[in-house]
Amino acid sequence: MITELRPIPPSVELKAPQTAPLLTVDRLKAYYKTQLFGVDREVRAVDDVSLKINRNEIYGLAGESSSGKSSLIKTIAGAIRPPFRVVEGSVRFNFKDGERDIYKLSPQELSAIRWSHLSYIMQGSMSVLNPVRRIKHAFADFALPHVSVKGADFTRLVERHLKRVHLDPAVLQAYPHELSGGMRQRVTIALATVCSPEFIIADEPTTALDVIVQKGVLSMVREIQQELGSSVLFVTHDMAVHANLTDRLGIMYAGRLVEEGRTRDVFKKPLHPYTAHLISSLPRIGDEAPKKGLEGSPPSLADPPSGCRFHPRCPLAIDICHREAPQMVEILPGHRAACHVAQADPTRVEAVA
Amino acid sequence: MSTLKILRDLFRYNGEFAIGLVLVLVVLAVAVCSFFSPYPPMDVYVVPPDVPPSWEYPLGTTSRGQDVFWQLTFAIRNTLLFGIVVAVLSRIISLAVGLISGYKGGWVDRVLMSINDTFVVIPLFPILVLFYFIMRDQMSWVMLAVITALLGWAYDARLIRSIAMSLRTREFTRQAVFSGMGTGKIVLQEHLPFVLPIVFSTTMNNINWSIGIEVTLSVLGFTDINTPTIGGMIYWANQHTALVSGIWWWITFPVVLVIMLFIGLFLLAISMNEYIDPRSRLSRLGGQA
Repeated sequence: MITELRPIPPSVELKAPQTAPLLTVDRLKAYYKTQLFGVDREVRAVDDVSLKINRNEIYGLAGESSSGKSSLIKTIAGAIRPPFRVVEGSVRFNFKDGERDIYKLSPQELSAIRWSHLSYIMQGSMSVLNPVRRIKHAFADFALPHVSVKGADFTRLVERHLKRVHLDPAVLQAYPHELSGGMRQRVTIALATVCSPEFIIADEPTTALDVIVQKGVLSMVREIQQELGSSVLFVTHDMAVHANLTDRLGIMYAGRLVEEGRTRDVFKKPLHPYTAHLISSLPRIGDEAPKKGLEGSPPSLADPPSGCRFHPRCPLAIDICHREAPQMVEILPGHRAACHVAQADPTRVEAVA
Repeated sequence: MSTLKILRDLFRYNGEFAIGLVLVLVVLAVAVCSFFSPYPPMDVYVVPPDVPPSWEYPLGTTSRGQDVFWQLTFAIRNTLLFGIVVAVLSRIISLAVGLISGYKGGWVDRVLMSINDTFVVIPLFPILVLFYFIMRDQMSWVMLAVITALLGWAYDARLIRSIAMSLRTREFTRQAVFSGMGTGKIVLQEHLPFVLPIVFSTTMNNINWSIGIEVTLSVLGFTDINTPTIGGMIYWANQHTALVSGIWWWITFPVVLVIMLFIGLFLLAISMNEYIDPRSRLSRLGGQA
């Protein structure tokens, strides 16, 4: 699906580049570990992921279902529950008032950075609002404990924020079912950003919306991001949304980050065969040639293939791919990929799809 | 829509609700009359015994020299109060157990539900009789209400738990957890409003059930027989072999009144269900709910 959107200027080039990244994920491994009836199972949903997200940028995360996108961002948000747990690695935020390692914080400290520094627009966010409570109660329940103001001042803060995102403050009196899907989505985003967080995680906020509403929501995300100067980690499997919104793009496959670079570079010159296939599968106006699908299906994360996890489906696979997992290496400036073939000769990947 | 408007619409468009409400209001009116009774409830031989219904004694008098009507006002008041006390107490228990066990899951759920299931399978009536024989003279009205409440929460706790379990997986619960709300706040602020309509409906049924228990026990004389209740009146009528000696009014009017209460509460409960169920609600209220 190609979404027609007015071009949104990438923010990275508008603002002075910041040196210290806001988020550093370092060799993160997070597995679902279960023990049922004496059988140990280990699902490696996030396996050895490292990435950095700068201040004031929108970082896109793409990948098919069950590639570990949601697991990764849950880990980043520190919102994981057993049986899902972090096995190795660290998630560090460099907030304005100091650096924090998410997995070294006490529950109180973690709770304190949420909403005010780190906010999360959940998947299926249409249902984030409790249907039996008015919108104003949602704001009071979720955001009030994280701001210093109370009572009428808080209401004023919320109203000001709603106006800023072009919502009528009258929605505060409404129940969620009285709003349209797009409005509800906008309220949800307003709810997540009311405390001006430095880092916003958005988990598929445009899924289940039609393209017109999608456009509105996307430009709202961009507007808020630019106004607050915060960073957004935007997750969706819709490549068209990534092309239009994100500054940098990471591609996940089977629990691993396989490619990362500026969105334009990734689309123009993919360095991983999986990305190349993903992009060539997008429809283009005027292109009538039938699209060829990639053979096979994504591997089970409980029993991933040896070596490079993509090798059973990869047309370029060579001997070493079966044995050794490739590391993320910067192949072109600011453009990393985990592929033995591309690391030897980046031009070979382009020809694949 | 305000609560009053909902009630008005229910009364207009829902026959069960209208009949149920009228029946319950009649019973309530009778109960309220007890405050204007010319005779103290415990006194006997205040009026001539065994007088059939007449203008002077509309529902007749008993062999113990009590006016059936005024006696009935006290009896229904106590019986109703008993039902309400049991219902409120057992609702509190079933809400606490159901919401917490459904939300927490894990070992909390397993522990609470094994206690819950124990109460489900306990044979109720023998236990109550046993309590009566152990307590004997200490078996007051309050004591019986507490014991009945302790035995009457388990089914509804399971019902509430099933709702809480589904609420736990909804997005707004995850959002609440993410924002750092504690168990108590999540359960009370986010989940309680969902189960309240169901709790209202089960309250009526629970009142009915506990009145049934109370009447059964007191007819058999297993309660404090000096406090006038519906069951107590029937007990005394039986003691004086009222039916054999043709004093039918002594036993008929309490039975009729308690049946009115049963049917009224039952109709209210099912019309509450009607209101809770969105599909039937839409059809009843012309699609404007």
